[in-house]
Order: sequence, then C-alpha cells, then structure tokens
Amino acid sequence: MTRNAKSPDLSELADLDRLVHEPARLAVMALLFVIESADFTFLMNQTGLTWGNLSAHLTKLEEAGYLEVEKSFKGRRPNTSLRLTRQGREAFREYARTMKQIFQDLPTA
Amino acid sequence: MTAQLNLKEIERRAFRSTYEDGLLDIELGLVVICMSIFVYRPPTGYSPANIVLALLAMLLANGLFWVGKKFITLPRMGRVRFGAARKRKKATLVIILSLVVLIQVGLLGLTVLGWLNPEVGAKVNDFFKARDLMDLAVAVIGSLFVGPSMILVAYFTDFPRGYYIAVMMALAVFLLIYLNQPIYAIILGSLIVLPGLVLFVRFVKTHPLHGEGVPDD
Repeated sequence: MTRNAKSPDLSELADLDRLVHEPARLAVMALLFVIESADFTFLMNQTGLTWGNLSAHLTKLEEAGYLEVEKSFKGRRPNTSLRLTRQGREAFREYARTMKQIFQDLPTA
Repeated sequence: MTAQLNLKEIERRAFRSTYEDGLLDIELGLVVICMSIFVYRPPTGYSPANIVLALLAMLLANGLFWVGKKFITLPRMGRVRFGAARKRKKATLVIILSLVVLIQVGLLGLTVLGWLNPEVGAKVNDFFKARDLMDLAVAVIGSLFVGPSMILVAYFTDFPRGYYIAVMMALAVFLLIYLNQPIYAIILGSLIVLPGLVLFVRFVKTHPLHGEGVPDD
C-alpha cells in the first residue's frame, strides 16, 4: 500500500483543542457562535443535553475563558445568560480551520 | 463526522424554534377572525363601532399572544438573542412595511380626494360600475395589500408557515370584501388558528417546566 503524498499531516490532530472537540461542548459552542446569547433553558432545548450534563460542560468552558456567564433576574426568576467570549470565538474558529484542513484532502472511499 | 457542521443551518434551526409554540399562528388567525366579524359591511351600513370593536379585538389577540409568550412558552423555550444579521433583516422589514403603509395611506388619500372631487370620484365609480367590477376591484386591491405584506413578513422573519398564512389572509380579505360575508373569512382564520393550537399543545407537552430539583434558569 503506497502512501498518498497529499495525505494530511496527522500531527495537527494532536494540536486540536480538546475542550472544543468534545461533541457536547462542540454543539454548545457552535450554537453560541451563531447567536449573540442564550439562557440555560434554550441551550438545553437546542442541544438535548440534560441540566447536569450541560452545567458541567458550561463550567469547563467558563473556566477556560471561552464562555461569559451573566446572572440576572427576569421578574422574580433567576436568569443565566451565556455568550462566547472573544477568546471562545477565536478558539472555535481555530478549531474549525484545523478540522477543515485535516479533512480537505480526504480521499473518497 | 457523518454530517457537515453547517453553522447557517444551526442558526436557522435555532431561530425557527422560536415559532414552535404556535402562538404567532394563533395571533394572526385571531386577527383574521376579528377583522371578519367587525370589518365587513353590515346591511345597516358602517359605524365607527365596527372599527373600534375590531381594534379592541385585535388588541386582545395581541395581548393573548404576549401573555402566552411571557408566562407559558418563554419559560419552557428559554431566551435567546440572535446576531446582527437577524437584526438587520428585522430593520429592513420595518422599512419595507412602512413603505407599504405609506402606499396604503396614499391610496386612502386618493379615495378621499375622489370624495372631495365628485367629478373624479364619479368617473372612477362609473368605470367600475359599468363593468360591475367595483367589489371585485376593491377585493383584489385589499388582498393584494394583505397577501404580499404577509409574504414579506414570512420571508424576512424566516417563518415558513407565514406563506400559508399569507395565502389564507389574502383569500380571507378577498372573500370578505367580494362576498361581504364574514363566515368565509372566519373559516379561513380558523384554519390559521387550528394548526397553531395543535403546535401550542404539542409544545407545552414536549417542553415541561423545570422540576424543583432543577434550577429555574
């Protein structure tokens, strides 16, 4: 079996941002990338994640500085508004760029 | 990766999900029904009460929409703010609809001018009456204002069911004016409300409020 000269550089895979690469976090980040902000309930409905699962992923993203959490009150109800930080947006863009590069020369089976 | 990560599609799906509760359909259908009941030409002639009652009923429909949205569906759906592109589309829609309203006001002005100038009014009246087209002309003009306006709303607000509603509304206005019978428009209005009600019930069933163990937000 000869190796394709145009095969992608696999070392790029190791450089992938694992924080973004995890499917549930990727779904959250993709959604937050295309909107301005959303609350917890909206993210739950859109991603299909449970409260606990989503909460854990959001904490990780917040700790990495990718996510900005704003707590407020809508009437008497607490409301948590979530948005990507500039760093989070850049991380998502970079992730998308890398993935695109990895798969662009993928031979069709 | 079996499917392409289509960001535009993700945004569109998120945006369209805000219509899943069916409340907008219910409101628009109720507007058609209110209009049908109060704005047709009664045998006794027009009275200001027709317009006042129609406006009050439409306000009630609008109030129902906002109460339903605020207290029933938003707590289940969640709150979201979309990006600059959506805001630009909304602003464009406002400008276009303002132009449509201006044209309508212009037409109304021309009608008033016709009343003030009996010669012009008589000429227009004679033209249409001679061909027995008066009701047909008014009905066509009315539906041409309502239908395309709603199509624009559907397009700029990315509301696919809006096209169906546009057809129903245009037909309702046409039949209301041409046949001067509110029943057809009421039926058409109900055909807008009913799918909205089905969606609303389905939405409430599939989007429960959080239990006590789960935070409110």
